[in-house]
Amino acid sequence: MTSTAAASVVGQPVSRVDGPLKVAGGATYAAEFDPGPGLCHGAIVTSTVASGRIASIDTAAAEAAPGVVAVLTHRNAPVLPYHEHKGLTDPPEGERIHLLQDDRVRHQGQPVALAVAETLEEAVYAASLVRVSYRPESAVTAFSDAVAHAVPPGPRYRDRGLEGDGGRGDADAALGAAPVRIEAEYVMPRLNHNPIEPHGTVARWSEGELTLWDKTQWVDNVRAEMAAVFGLPPDRVRVVSPFVGGAFGSGLRPWANVTLAAMASRHVDRPVKVVLTRRQMFGITGYRPRSTHRVALGADRDGQLLAIRHEGVSETSTYETYAEEQLGSSEYLYACRDVATRYRVAPRNVQTPNDMRGPGKVTGVHALECAMDELAAALDMDPVELRLRNDTIVDQSTGVPFSSRSLRECYQAAGERFGWSRRNPRPGAMRDERGRLVGYGCASATWPAMRQAAEARARLLPDGSAVVSSSSSDMGPGTYTSMTQVAAETLGLPLERVRFELGDTRMPTAPVHGGSWTMASLGSAVQAACAEARRRALAEIGRADADLAAVLRQIGEPVEATVRTEPGDELRRYSAHSFGAVFAEVAVDPDLCTVRVPRLVGAYGVGRVVNPKTARSQITGGMVMGMGMALTERTEVDPRDARPVNSSLADYLVPVNADVGELDAVFVDEEDPHVNPLGVKGLGEIGTVGVAAAICNAVYHATGRRVRELPVTVERVLGAAVR
Amino acid sequence: MEFLSPATWEEALAAKSARPDAVPIMGGTDVMVELNFDRRRPAALLDLTRVPELREWAPDGDRLRLGAGVPYAVIVDRLADRAPALALASRAVASPQIRNRGSVGGNLGGASPAGDAHPPLLATDAVVELASVRGVRRVPAREFYLGPRRTARSDDELIAAVLLPAPAGPQQFAKIGTRNAMVIAVASFALALDAGRRSAGTGIGSAGPTPLRAPEAEEFLAAEFDWAGGRPPSPAVAQEFGALVAAAARPIDDVRGSAAYRRHALSVLARRTLGWAAADYRREMAACG
Repeated sequence: MTSTAAASVVGQPVSRVDGPLKVAGGATYAAEFDPGPGLCHGAIVTSTVASGRIASIDTAAAEAAPGVVAVLTHRNAPVLPYHEHKGLTDPPEGERIHLLQDDRVRHQGQPVALAVAETLEEAVYAASLVRVSYRPESAVTAFSDAVAHAVPPGPRYRDRGLEGDGGRGDADAALGAAPVRIEAEYVMPRLNHNPIEPHGTVARWSEGELTLWDKTQWVDNVRAEMAAVFGLPPDRVRVVSPFVGGAFGSGLRPWANVTLAAMASRHVDRPVKVVLTRRQMFGITGYRPRSTHRVALGADRDGQLLAIRHEGVSETSTYETYAEEQLGSSEYLYACRDVATRYRVAPRNVQTPNDMRGPGKVTGVHALECAMDELAAALDMDPVELRLRNDTIVDQSTGVPFSSRSLRECYQAAGERFGWSRRNPRPGAMRDERGRLVGYGCASATWPAMRQAAEARARLLPDGSAVVSSSSSDMGPGTYTSMTQVAAETLGLPLERVRFELGDTRMPTAPVHGGSWTMASLGSAVQAACAEARRRALAEIGRADADLAAVLRQIGEPVEATVRTEPGDELRRYSAHSFGAVFAEVAVDPDLCTVRVPRLVGAYGVGRVVNPKTARSQITGGMVMGMGMALTERTEVDPRDARPVNSSLADYLVPVNADVGELDAVFVDEEDPHVNPLGVKGLGEIGTVGVAAAICNAVYHATGRRVRELPVTVERVLGAAVR
Repeated sequence: MEFLSPATWEEALAAKSARPDAVPIMGGTDVMVELNFDRRRPAALLDLTRVPELREWAPDGDRLRLGAGVPYAVIVDRLADRAPALALASRAVASPQIRNRGSVGGNLGGASPAGDAHPPLLATDAVVELASVRGVRRVPAREFYLGPRRTARSDDELIAAVLLPAPAGPQQFAKIGTRNAMVIAVASFALALDAGRRSAGTGIGSAGPTPLRAPEAEEFLAAEFDWAGGRPPSPAVAQEFGALVAAAARPIDDVRGSAAYRRHALSVLARRTLGWAAADYRREMAACG
């Protein structure tokens, strides 16, 4: 790395500061930590019924197997306090499963035993010898049955602002009177988290203190939950998580591996490691819930929206209510007087869903933006033009102005790069040189700009360097890098003299690393802590204009400042969201109906961009996820017994390199003076939003066929033509 | 699980004879997946990676004798002219890393109906060489596949090689997957034309309990193809050829695709490969003057 002029560091395409470490294999991930002598390995035995009681559990053979240290079941596991704990990322309604505390089974894949052995192989073998029989009880296994008994999210969600019903005016009447109407149903399957690093934990007890090396997006919440589960003061629990091999939301809650590792470690009085298998990732961790949406749009003949009615229902478990804000974007994305939204959750005997990149928005915007394309077709209007005609500078759901909004500029910038003007509006009219049908489609993207309280410490050292720390996480967006940039710029030190540390509960408290709010929240705290530390250092020698490195050498001892920052009332005075426009080109084989995506082009208004290089990577990575959602990804759940059928990376198909064509992401210039001190709106999730809709709309343009159920499989494109 | 690791072919045959339940492993691209998924737990693994002959290939009369352990990557890079359909199919296998390890012998041993190598072996009338301490026997690929993952190989036999007839006309292969790489075929099809015998060979993958031929399609094409001039088949001929291929399939619905789509796709792949093969045929005729 060359020495970079400090003042210009923010906004520069700095390469990842942790990149060399990761490339060289020097980054230590959760399951790679060495807790010291005596490490044992735990292998989880999971349930094979969707609901019922454990009738018998025979561990004799497992206990007699070589290397086995213990086999834990509900009959011999320690009784744990499981005090109430609801972190921000926990569903407020219901209660988590209390692992190995009773004989009740609530879903397929629920842990019912843990074999602990000297080696992983011995543990896995012992786990295979545990014999469990069940007394099955009636279960809701099919999504359609669950939907028949769908309910509003519940009072605690209402307290968080997520009601079942929303909107304004009289959408039904406005729809009835609208000269042009469309109505359609969209189906989105369950999508599972598939980070390459599976969830894993190493647990060690030492003199009543628990240390956990875990894969998580929020070390402080893992500490809080484990303190509640084990009845410990939080300061007796330490959680360490410096590197995360992809998470996308899967690291927002501690899964069974954490509790089981800690429980087993205490039970056998040795460190214990528990890592989920890929199959267990499908049965133990959360996922984007299956959902069905119905959208009705009414417009006048000029394309002015007159009514939006958007109804959605998504699956949840029977023991917790997972609800997400799927329909909010239909209330603010476009100008429209009469809007009605209705959201319900459908309890089913499955494990609880959880946030997956762009939760809620990815689902709701998909339905809305497919419907907008159908409306454009019904109006015989250009789909971009339809969006621009309904652009608004005021959030009509709250009546307050947007802090900034560049949707129009995004459509213009992305449309130009994409070459939208070359589009023949007639479906099926464009072909490529191989004779494939070519389609162009577009969709809007949106994600709320949020901010949480955050705390950071800046420690300036006599050698003119600085160490800045906070308990945050870097699941991939580049927290290490972007925080180093903010710190270097604020301190006025060269980038290579600043080190940012994260991922340890001993550090100042960061908010959960999610929601696209890390830069806004923690960036503000890092900026404030560095400004305060710099001020203190300069104050010591009484000169405000001196070179900081020289001052630190002169002081000769560390100067430190820990600062906590909080959002003000700006988000009550302004509606703050990132917006974007994404364009897709598809090539469809006219006979085989295979869909390929040669190009995705997106433009985004996200406020200030701290690091255009990592920002672009965030967006293009999000685009690939959107492509997977559009074309290949779905968790097939057997409607008879609620068992995930394709729980492996051979059967759950994420896009591979050979599927990914040209990805182009740009940011429009946007200054947002209102949203937070850094002027950043967040860009971690928006890259996935709208991508599947743009692809579906492009498939319609290529073929004249609407595929309203994801993924867009060959069978669905072929439709009625299959004999 | 016992792990047997013979250093020579003789030792390997002796080991298989002594332990007929031992599962041979070379690249491990199939066997290890099965072990990892806990679909099988053999009492013994027979590691063949130390047996040099399995990685060799050489002429055998008019045919090419391809050692069972020659990796797909080698077939793609070195044998495209001697085994065109098999080379095309090898290119469609998984990813570069897996093509470096996986081999035709593994495909034959596992005998999954979705294996990419099977359709070319059927279409080109390749022969599978089986060996045991009792001796060597050669079984045509067309008689090798007996049922779902069941083959003509006896428990004490190892797959030594495949014998690939010298190409006597154009060969084509096509595969449909749900993504562009790292994917098990939804359906695949191989076509081999034999200008000398004026015959056609077919192979269908991933659309039945075993890899299949389409004998009626072969007879139809042998009669209808313009062997003298290689004229592009008429739409009616192409259509009928595709229909006969689709009719020969015995597909099921599974997570990768529906039976109806598989039949449809096979008719399309059959028509397309026929068109490509006819074009190749004309080119070869032109080249021969």
